[in-house]
Amino acid sequence: MSIARFTPFERLLLTSRHQADTAALLLLGWVLVNQGPVGEDQRARLVSLTRDFRHGHDLAPLLEIAAAQDLDAIQLAAEVLQREARGGYPFLRLAIALAAGQGEPSPANHHVLRFLADLLGVPPQEFAALYEATSQRPLQEPADPSRHAYWQPRFEERARREEARRQAEEQERQREEESRKREEGRQQRETRGEQQRRESRDNDRRREEQQRQREEQRRRESRDNDRRREEQQRQERQHYQPPPGGRQGRALQVLGLSDGASRQEIRRAYRRLAQAHHPDRFHAEGEAVMASASRRFQRIKQAYDYLMREVS
Amino acid sequence: MRDLYRRLGVPPDSDGETLSRAIAACEHRTLRRDAEAVLVEAEHRREYDALHATLGDIGRLRSRLGLTHGAHWRDGLADDFSAPADLAGSHHEALMRRLSQAALAHDRWRRGRALGLGLGLFLLGLLAGAATCHWLLG
Repeated sequence: MSIARFTPFERLLLTSRHQADTAALLLLGWVLVNQGPVGEDQRARLVSLTRDFRHGHDLAPLLEIAAAQDLDAIQLAAEVLQREARGGYPFLRLAIALAAGQGEPSPANHHVLRFLADLLGVPPQEFAALYEATSQRPLQEPADPSRHAYWQPRFEERARREEARRQAEEQERQREEESRKREEGRQQRETRGEQQRRESRDNDRRREEQQRQREEQRRRESRDNDRRREEQQRQERQHYQPPPGGRQGRALQVLGLSDGASRQEIRRAYRRLAQAHHPDRFHAEGEAVMASASRRFQRIKQAYDYLMREVS
Repeated sequence: MRDLYRRLGVPPDSDGETLSRAIAACEHRTLRRDAEAVLVEAEHRREYDALHATLGDIGRLRSRLGLTHGAHWRDGLADDFSAPADLAGSHHEALMRRLSQAALAHDRWRRGRALGLGLGLFLLGLLAGAATCHWLLG
Protein backbone atom coordinates (compact mmCIF):
# COMPACT_ATOMS: atom_id res chain seq x y z
CA MET A 1 0.00 0.00 0.00
CA SER A 2 1.46 3.34 -1.00
CA ILE A 3 1.12 6.15 1.47
CA ALA A 4 0.26 9.45 -0.18
CA ARG A 5 2.45 12.26 1.11
CA PHE A 6 1.32 15.85 1.02
CA THR A 7 3.35 19.00 1.28
CA PRO A 8 2.49 21.56 3.98
CA PHE A 9 0.66 23.77 1.51
CA GLU A 10 -1.34 20.87 0.13
CA ARG A 11 -2.42 19.96 3.64
CA LEU A 12 -3.43 23.56 4.29
CA LEU A 13 -5.37 23.63 1.06
CA LEU A 14 -7.13 20.35 1.77
CA THR A 15 -8.15 21.36 5.26
CA SER A 16 -9.09 24.91 4.27
CA ARG A 17 -12.68 25.99 4.53
CA HIS A 18 -12.35 27.91 1.28
CA GLN A 19 -9.63 26.78 -1.10
CA ALA A 20 -9.68 29.82 -3.38
CA ASP A 21 -9.10 32.09 -0.38
CA THR A 22 -6.18 30.00 0.83
CA ALA A 23 -4.66 30.10 -2.65
CA ALA A 24 -5.22 33.85 -2.92
CA LEU A 25 -3.65 34.36 0.49
CA LEU A 26 -0.52 32.47 -0.51
CA LEU A 27 -0.16 34.53 -3.67
CA LEU A 28 -0.67 37.76 -1.70
CA GLY A 29 2.00 36.53 0.70
CA TRP A 30 4.27 36.07 -2.28
CA VAL A 31 3.62 39.66 -3.35
CA LEU A 32 4.34 40.83 0.20
CA VAL A 33 7.62 38.93 0.36
CA ASN A 34 8.71 40.40 -2.96
CA GLN A 35 8.02 43.92 -1.71
CA GLY A 36 10.79 43.70 0.89
CA PRO A 37 11.35 42.37 4.38
CA VAL A 38 8.12 41.38 6.13
CA GLY A 39 7.68 43.02 9.51
CA GLU A 40 4.78 43.42 11.90
CA ASP A 41 3.35 46.34 9.88
CA GLN A 42 3.31 44.46 6.61
CA ARG A 43 1.67 41.47 8.25
CA ALA A 44 -0.99 43.71 9.79
CA ARG A 45 -1.69 45.22 6.37
CA LEU A 46 -2.14 41.80 4.82
CA VAL A 47 -4.50 40.80 7.63
CA SER A 48 -6.58 43.96 7.29
CA LEU A 49 -6.78 43.58 3.51
CA THR A 50 -7.92 39.96 3.73
CA ARG A 51 -10.31 40.20 6.65
CA ASP A 52 -13.19 38.96 4.44
CA PHE A 53 -11.40 35.72 3.61
CA ARG A 54 -13.02 32.52 4.84
CA HIS A 55 -10.08 30.12 4.89
CA GLY A 56 -10.20 29.48 8.63
CA HIS A 57 -6.56 28.74 9.41
CA ASP A 58 -3.49 30.59 10.63
CA LEU A 59 -1.59 33.06 8.50
CA ALA A 60 1.88 32.19 9.79
CA PRO A 61 2.45 28.84 8.00
CA LEU A 62 1.29 30.37 4.71
CA LEU A 63 3.67 33.29 5.07
CA GLU A 64 6.48 30.85 5.78
CA ILE A 65 5.75 29.00 2.55
CA ALA A 66 5.61 32.29 0.67
CA ALA A 67 8.89 33.46 2.19
CA ALA A 68 10.58 30.26 1.05
CA GLN A 69 9.35 31.07 -2.52
CA ASP A 70 8.20 27.47 -2.86
CA LEU A 71 7.54 27.28 -6.59
CA ASP A 72 5.38 24.16 -6.45
CA ALA A 73 3.13 25.66 -3.81
CA ILE A 74 2.82 28.90 -5.75
CA GLN A 75 1.97 26.99 -8.91
CA LEU A 76 -0.71 25.01 -7.12
CA ALA A 77 -2.15 28.20 -5.62
CA ALA A 78 -2.15 29.84 -9.07
CA GLU A 79 -4.01 26.87 -10.54
CA VAL A 80 -6.60 26.89 -7.78
CA LEU A 81 -7.08 30.63 -8.11
CA GLN A 82 -7.38 30.40 -11.89
CA ARG A 83 -9.97 27.67 -11.53
CA GLU A 84 -12.04 29.14 -8.73
CA ALA A 85 -11.85 32.89 -9.11
CA ARG A 86 -14.79 34.41 -10.93
CA GLY A 87 -13.13 37.30 -12.71
CA GLY A 88 -9.77 38.38 -11.40
CA TYR A 89 -10.59 41.95 -10.42
CA PRO A 90 -11.13 41.61 -6.66
CA PHE A 91 -7.96 39.61 -6.23
CA LEU A 92 -5.88 41.89 -8.46
CA ARG A 93 -7.14 44.90 -6.53
CA LEU A 94 -5.85 43.37 -3.32
CA ALA A 95 -2.51 42.50 -4.90
CA ILE A 96 -2.09 46.04 -6.25
CA ALA A 97 -3.06 47.56 -2.91
CA LEU A 98 -0.47 45.40 -1.22
CA ALA A 99 2.32 46.11 -3.69
CA ALA A 100 1.64 49.78 -4.44
CA GLY A 101 -0.06 50.87 -1.23
CA GLN A 102 3.06 52.56 0.06
CA GLY A 103 5.06 53.92 -2.84
CA GLU A 104 6.13 52.33 -6.06
CA PRO A 105 6.13 48.51 -6.22
CA SER A 106 9.52 46.81 -6.21
CA PRO A 107 10.84 45.78 -9.66
CA ALA A 108 10.13 42.15 -8.76
CA ASN A 109 6.54 42.97 -7.91
CA HIS A 110 6.08 44.76 -11.22
CA HIS A 111 6.64 41.41 -12.85
CA VAL A 112 4.67 39.45 -10.25
CA LEU A 113 1.63 41.70 -10.72
CA ARG A 114 1.80 41.28 -14.49
CA PHE A 115 2.08 37.55 -14.07
CA LEU A 116 -1.04 37.55 -11.89
CA ALA A 117 -2.87 39.68 -14.46
CA ASP A 118 -1.97 37.18 -17.18
CA LEU A 119 -2.99 34.33 -14.93
CA LEU A 120 -6.44 35.80 -14.45
CA GLY A 121 -6.78 36.86 -18.08
CA VAL A 122 -6.73 40.63 -17.56
CA PRO A 123 -5.24 42.27 -20.68
CA PRO A 124 -2.65 45.09 -20.34
CA GLN A 125 -5.00 48.02 -20.92
CA GLU A 126 -7.54 46.86 -18.39
CA PHE A 127 -4.80 46.08 -15.93
CA ALA A 128 -3.30 49.55 -16.29
CA ALA A 129 -6.71 51.11 -15.67
CA LEU A 130 -7.26 48.90 -12.64
CA TYR A 131 -3.84 49.79 -11.29
CA GLU A 132 -4.44 53.48 -11.64
CA ALA A 133 -7.88 53.23 -10.02
CA THR A 134 -6.51 51.24 -7.08
CA SER A 135 -3.22 52.97 -6.35
CA GLN A 136 -4.02 56.51 -7.65
CA ARG A 137 -0.84 56.40 -9.72
CA PRO A 138 -0.28 55.58 -13.38
CA LEU A 139 1.25 52.19 -14.08
CA GLN A 140 4.95 52.54 -14.90
CA GLU A 141 6.99 50.20 -17.00
CA PRO A 142 9.17 48.03 -14.75
CA ALA A 143 12.67 49.44 -14.28
CA ASP A 144 15.40 47.47 -16.02
CA PRO A 145 18.42 46.81 -13.78
CA SER A 146 20.21 44.97 -16.57
CA ARG A 147 20.89 48.34 -18.22
CA HIS A 148 23.71 50.68 -17.42
CA ALA A 149 21.21 53.54 -17.22
CA TYR A 150 19.43 52.04 -14.20
CA TRP A 151 22.58 52.39 -12.10
CA GLN A 152 23.58 55.79 -13.53
CA PRO A 153 22.08 57.77 -10.62
CA ARG A 154 24.12 55.73 -8.14
CA PHE A 155 27.31 56.22 -10.11
CA GLU A 156 26.59 59.93 -10.28
CA GLU A 157 25.85 60.01 -6.58
CA ARG A 158 29.16 58.35 -5.87
CA ALA A 159 30.99 60.71 -8.25
CA ARG A 160 29.37 63.66 -6.50
CA ARG A 161 30.46 62.39 -3.12
CA GLU A 162 33.98 61.88 -4.41
CA GLU A 163 34.04 65.34 -5.92
CA ALA A 164 32.91 66.87 -2.62
CA ARG A 165 35.65 65.01 -0.79
CA ARG A 166 38.23 66.17 -3.30
CA GLN A 167 37.11 69.76 -2.95
CA ALA A 168 37.31 69.53 0.82
CA GLU A 169 40.85 68.23 0.51
CA GLU A 170 41.69 71.02 -1.88
CA GLN A 171 40.38 73.65 0.52
CA GLU A 172 42.33 72.07 3.33
CA ARG A 173 45.45 72.24 1.23
CA GLN A 174 44.85 75.89 0.33
CA ARG A 175 44.30 76.80 3.94
CA GLU A 176 47.57 75.13 4.85
CA GLU A 177 49.37 76.96 2.10
CA GLU A 178 47.97 80.31 3.20
CA SER A 179 49.02 79.77 6.76
CA ARG A 180 52.43 78.77 5.52
CA LYS A 181 52.65 81.93 3.41
CA ARG A 182 51.57 84.08 6.31
CA GLU A 183 54.35 82.60 8.35
CA GLU A 184 56.81 83.27 5.62
CA GLY A 185 55.60 86.87 5.40
CA ARG A 186 56.02 87.32 9.09
CA GLN A 187 59.52 85.98 8.98
CA GLN A 188 60.36 88.47 6.20
CA ARG A 189 63.08 86.27 4.85
CA GLU A 190 62.03 85.93 1.31
CA THR A 191 65.06 85.40 -0.84
CA ARG A 192 65.08 85.97 -4.54
CA GLY A 193 65.78 82.29 -5.33
CA GLU A 194 62.74 81.24 -3.39
CA GLN A 195 60.56 83.60 -5.33
CA GLN A 196 61.84 82.21 -8.57
CA ARG A 197 61.15 78.75 -7.42
CA ARG A 198 57.60 79.68 -6.48
CA GLU A 199 57.11 81.26 -9.88
CA SER A 200 58.29 78.17 -11.64
CA ARG A 201 55.96 76.13 -9.46
CA ASP A 202 53.06 78.35 -10.45
CA ASN A 203 54.03 77.92 -14.05
CA ASP A 204 54.09 74.19 -13.62
CA ARG A 205 50.70 74.24 -12.05
CA ARG A 206 49.28 76.37 -14.83
CA ARG A 207 50.69 74.02 -17.42
CA GLU A 208 49.21 71.03 -15.63
CA GLU A 209 45.85 72.73 -15.48
CA GLN A 210 45.90 73.33 -19.25
CA GLN A 211 46.84 69.75 -19.92
CA ARG A 212 44.03 68.50 -17.70
CA GLN A 213 41.51 70.65 -19.55
CA ARG A 214 42.74 69.40 -22.87
CA GLU A 215 42.37 65.81 -21.72
CA GLU A 216 38.92 66.47 -20.38
CA GLN A 217 37.93 67.89 -23.74
CA ARG A 218 39.27 64.85 -25.54
CA ARG A 219 37.48 62.48 -23.21
CA ARG A 220 34.20 64.32 -23.65
CA GLU A 221 34.55 64.11 -27.42
CA SER A 222 35.26 60.42 -27.37
CA ARG A 223 32.30 59.85 -25.06
CA ASP A 224 30.06 61.71 -27.51
CA ASN A 225 31.39 59.55 -30.30
CA ASP A 226 30.70 56.43 -28.28
CA ARG A 227 27.18 57.51 -27.66
CA ARG A 228 26.59 58.26 -31.34
CA ARG A 229 27.98 54.88 -32.33
CA GLU A 230 25.83 53.12 -29.75
CA GLU A 231 22.75 54.87 -31.04
CA GLN A 232 23.64 53.68 -34.52
CA GLN A 233 24.17 50.15 -33.29
CA ARG A 234 20.86 50.17 -31.51
CA GLN A 235 19.08 51.26 -34.66
CA GLU A 236 20.78 48.53 -36.60
CA ARG A 237 19.84 45.99 -33.98
CA GLN A 238 16.17 46.87 -34.23
CA HIS A 239 16.16 45.61 -37.78
CA TYR A 240 18.22 42.59 -36.99
CA GLN A 241 17.10 39.98 -34.51
CA PRO A 242 19.49 37.15 -33.74
CA PRO A 243 17.79 33.91 -34.69
CA PRO A 244 18.44 31.27 -32.03
CA GLY A 245 18.90 28.22 -34.18
CA GLY A 246 17.21 29.65 -37.25
CA ARG A 247 13.56 29.84 -38.05
CA GLN A 248 13.00 26.20 -37.30
CA GLY A 249 14.43 26.58 -33.81
CA ARG A 250 12.19 29.56 -33.17
CA ALA A 251 9.14 27.71 -34.43
CA LEU A 252 9.97 24.80 -32.16
CA GLN A 253 10.37 27.21 -29.27
CA VAL A 254 6.92 28.63 -29.87
CA LEU A 255 5.53 25.13 -29.52
CA GLY A 256 7.67 24.55 -26.43
CA LEU A 257 9.77 21.83 -28.03
CA SER A 258 13.51 21.41 -28.29
CA ASP A 259 15.55 20.56 -31.38
CA GLY A 260 15.00 17.17 -32.93
CA ALA A 261 11.32 16.86 -32.06
CA SER A 262 9.45 14.33 -34.17
CA ARG A 263 6.38 15.04 -36.29
CA GLN A 264 4.19 13.33 -33.78
CA GLU A 265 5.55 15.36 -30.88
CA ILE A 266 5.00 18.53 -32.89
CA ARG A 267 1.45 17.54 -33.67
CA ARG A 268 0.73 16.73 -30.05
CA ALA A 269 2.21 20.00 -28.77
CA TYR A 270 0.25 21.93 -31.41
CA ARG A 271 -3.05 20.29 -30.41
CA ARG A 272 -2.45 21.06 -26.75
CA LEU A 273 -1.48 24.69 -27.33
CA ALA A 274 -4.17 25.28 -29.92
CA GLN A 275 -6.79 24.05 -27.51
CA ALA A 276 -5.46 26.24 -24.74
CA HIS A 277 -5.21 29.39 -26.86
CA HIS A 278 -8.08 29.05 -29.28
CA PRO A 279 -9.88 32.41 -29.53
CA ASP A 280 -13.30 30.76 -29.26
CA ARG A 281 -12.48 29.83 -25.70
CA PHE A 282 -12.22 33.49 -24.79
CA HIS A 283 -15.38 34.58 -26.51
CA ALA A 284 -17.12 35.42 -23.26
CA GLU A 285 -14.27 37.51 -21.91
CA GLY A 286 -14.47 40.44 -24.27
CA GLU A 287 -12.90 41.82 -27.38
CA ALA A 288 -9.40 42.55 -26.09
CA VAL A 289 -8.85 39.12 -24.57
CA MET A 290 -10.07 37.49 -27.73
CA ALA A 291 -7.76 39.61 -29.90
CA SER A 292 -4.73 38.71 -27.83
CA ALA A 293 -5.69 35.03 -27.86
CA SER A 294 -6.09 35.16 -31.61
CA ARG A 295 -2.61 36.66 -31.96
CA ARG A 296 -1.18 33.86 -29.86
CA PHE A 297 -3.13 31.30 -31.83
CA GLN A 298 -1.86 32.71 -35.10
CA ARG A 299 1.72 32.48 -33.91
CA ILE A 300 1.24 28.87 -32.82
CA LYS A 301 -0.48 27.93 -36.05
CA GLN A 302 2.18 29.55 -38.22
CA ALA A 303 4.90 27.73 -36.31
CA TYR A 304 3.04 24.46 -36.73
CA ASP A 305 2.42 24.93 -40.46
CA TYR A 306 6.03 25.81 -41.03
CA LEU A 307 7.27 22.80 -39.09
CA MET A 308 4.91 20.44 -40.88
CA ARG A 309 6.36 21.62 -44.18
CA GLU A 310 9.99 21.41 -43.06
CA VAL A 311 10.23 18.47 -40.67
CA SER A 312 9.84 15.07 -42.21
CA MET B 1 14.93 42.89 -18.05
CA ARG B 2 17.59 40.95 -19.89
CA ASP B 3 19.35 37.89 -18.57
CA LEU B 4 22.94 39.10 -18.61
CA TYR B 5 24.33 35.75 -17.50
CA ARG B 6 22.68 34.01 -20.39
CA ARG B 7 23.86 36.63 -22.84
CA LEU B 8 27.42 36.41 -21.55
CA GLY B 9 27.21 32.63 -21.62
CA VAL B 10 28.08 32.01 -17.97
CA PRO B 11 26.10 30.32 -15.20
CA PRO B 12 24.40 32.73 -12.76
CA ASP B 13 26.39 31.46 -9.77
CA SER B 14 29.81 31.95 -11.37
CA ASP B 15 32.46 33.77 -9.36
CA GLY B 16 33.89 37.21 -10.03
CA GLU B 17 36.88 35.99 -11.99
CA THR B 18 34.88 33.93 -14.47
CA LEU B 19 32.53 36.84 -14.86
CA SER B 20 35.19 39.41 -15.54
CA ARG B 21 36.79 37.07 -18.06
CA ALA B 22 33.44 36.63 -19.82
CA ILE B 23 32.86 40.39 -19.76
CA ALA B 24 36.30 41.06 -21.21
CA ALA B 25 35.67 38.49 -23.95
CA CYS B 26 32.31 40.00 -24.84
CA GLU B 27 32.37 41.68 -28.22
CA HIS B 28 29.17 43.62 -27.86
CA ARG B 29 30.09 47.07 -26.57
CA THR B 30 26.77 48.01 -24.97
CA LEU B 31 26.36 44.62 -23.38
CA ARG B 32 29.86 44.86 -21.97
CA ARG B 33 29.18 48.27 -20.50
CA ASP B 34 25.91 47.08 -18.95
CA ALA B 35 27.49 43.96 -17.55
CA GLU B 36 30.29 46.00 -16.02
CA ALA B 37 27.84 48.37 -14.37
CA VAL B 38 25.61 45.59 -13.03
CA LEU B 39 27.72 42.55 -12.28
CA VAL B 40 31.11 43.87 -11.24
CA GLU B 41 29.87 45.86 -8.25
CA ALA B 42 28.98 43.38 -5.50
CA GLU B 43 26.08 45.44 -4.20
CA HIS B 44 24.54 45.92 -7.64
CA ARG B 45 25.00 42.26 -8.43
CA ARG B 46 23.17 41.21 -5.26
CA GLU B 47 20.19 43.33 -6.20
CA TYR B 48 20.25 42.14 -9.78
CA ASP B 49 20.51 38.51 -8.70
CA ALA B 50 17.46 38.77 -6.47
CA LEU B 51 15.37 40.07 -9.34
CA HIS B 52 16.97 37.54 -11.67
CA ALA B 53 15.84 34.71 -9.39
CA THR B 54 12.29 36.04 -9.15
CA LEU B 55 12.02 36.44 -12.90
CA GLY B 56 13.37 32.93 -13.40
CA ASP B 57 10.67 31.67 -11.05
CA ILE B 58 8.00 33.56 -12.93
CA GLY B 59 9.30 32.20 -16.22
CA ARG B 60 9.12 28.64 -14.95
CA LEU B 61 5.67 29.24 -13.48
CA ARG B 62 4.46 30.60 -16.78
CA SER B 63 5.84 27.67 -18.70
CA ARG B 64 4.16 25.22 -16.34
CA LEU B 65 0.86 27.06 -16.42
CA GLY B 66 0.86 27.55 -20.20
CA LEU B 67 1.18 31.33 -19.88
CA THR B 68 4.33 31.85 -21.94
CA HIS B 69 2.19 33.53 -24.57
CA GLY B 70 0.60 35.90 -22.07
CA ALA B 71 0.13 39.44 -23.25
CA HIS B 72 2.12 40.94 -20.36
CA TRP B 73 5.10 38.73 -21.03
CA ARG B 74 5.71 37.96 -24.66
CA ASP B 75 6.32 41.47 -25.89
CA GLY B 76 8.01 42.76 -22.77
CA LEU B 77 11.57 42.89 -21.58
CA ALA B 78 11.18 39.69 -19.59
CA ASP B 79 11.30 37.48 -22.65
CA ASP B 80 14.83 36.32 -21.74
CA PHE B 81 13.33 34.36 -18.90
CA SER B 82 10.84 32.34 -20.91
CA ALA B 83 11.31 28.67 -20.28
CA PRO B 84 10.21 26.08 -22.84
CA ALA B 85 6.69 24.83 -22.21
CA ASP B 86 6.60 22.28 -19.46
CA LEU B 87 4.52 19.23 -20.23
CA ALA B 88 4.56 17.95 -16.66
CA GLY B 89 0.92 18.89 -16.26
CA SER B 90 -1.14 20.59 -13.64
CA HIS B 91 -0.24 20.39 -9.97
CA HIS B 92 -3.87 20.59 -9.02
CA GLU B 93 -4.76 17.55 -11.09
CA ALA B 94 -1.79 15.70 -9.62
CA LEU B 95 -2.98 16.59 -6.14
CA MET B 96 -6.50 15.37 -6.92
CA ARG B 97 -5.07 12.16 -8.37
CA ARG B 98 -3.01 11.55 -5.28
CA LEU B 99 -5.96 12.33 -3.08
CA SER B 100 -8.17 9.82 -4.87
CA GLN B 101 -5.36 7.27 -4.71
CA ALA B 102 -5.12 7.83 -0.99
CA ALA B 103 -8.88 7.42 -0.66
CA LEU B 104 -8.79 4.20 -2.69
CA ALA B 105 -5.94 2.86 -0.60
CA HIS B 106 -7.85 3.71 2.53
CA ASP B 107 -10.95 1.92 1.21
CA ARG B 108 -8.94 -1.10 0.27
CA TRP B 109 -7.36 -1.18 3.67
CA ARG B 110 -10.74 -1.06 5.39
CA ARG B 111 -12.14 -3.79 3.18
CA GLY B 112 -8.98 -5.83 3.74
CA ARG B 113 -9.33 -5.27 7.44
CA ALA B 114 -12.96 -6.54 7.48
CA LEU B 115 -11.96 -9.55 5.41
CA GLY B 116 -8.99 -10.26 7.62
CA LEU B 117 -11.11 -9.91 10.74
CA GLY B 118 -13.68 -12.42 9.38
CA LEU B 119 -10.97 -14.82 8.34
CA GLY B 120 -9.31 -14.53 11.73
CA LEU B 121 -12.55 -15.19 13.59
CA PHE B 122 -13.25 -18.17 11.34
CA LEU B 123 -9.81 -19.64 11.98
CA LEU B 124 -10.19 -19.00 15.69
CA GLY B 125 -13.56 -20.81 15.66
CA LEU B 126 -12.04 -23.69 13.75
CA LEU B 127 -9.22 -23.92 16.23
CA ALA B 128 -11.62 -23.74 19.16
CA GLY B 129 -13.82 -26.46 17.58
CA ALA B 130 -10.83 -28.68 17.03
CA ALA B 131 -9.72 -28.14 20.59
CA THR B 132 -13.21 -28.97 21.93
CA CYS B 133 -13.38 -32.13 19.82
CA HIS B 134 -9.98 -33.13 21.04
CA TRP B 135 -11.00 -32.54 24.64
CA LEU B 136 -14.31 -34.40 24.26
CA LEU B 137 -12.84 -37.36 22.42
CA GLY B 138 -9.56 -37.45 24.29
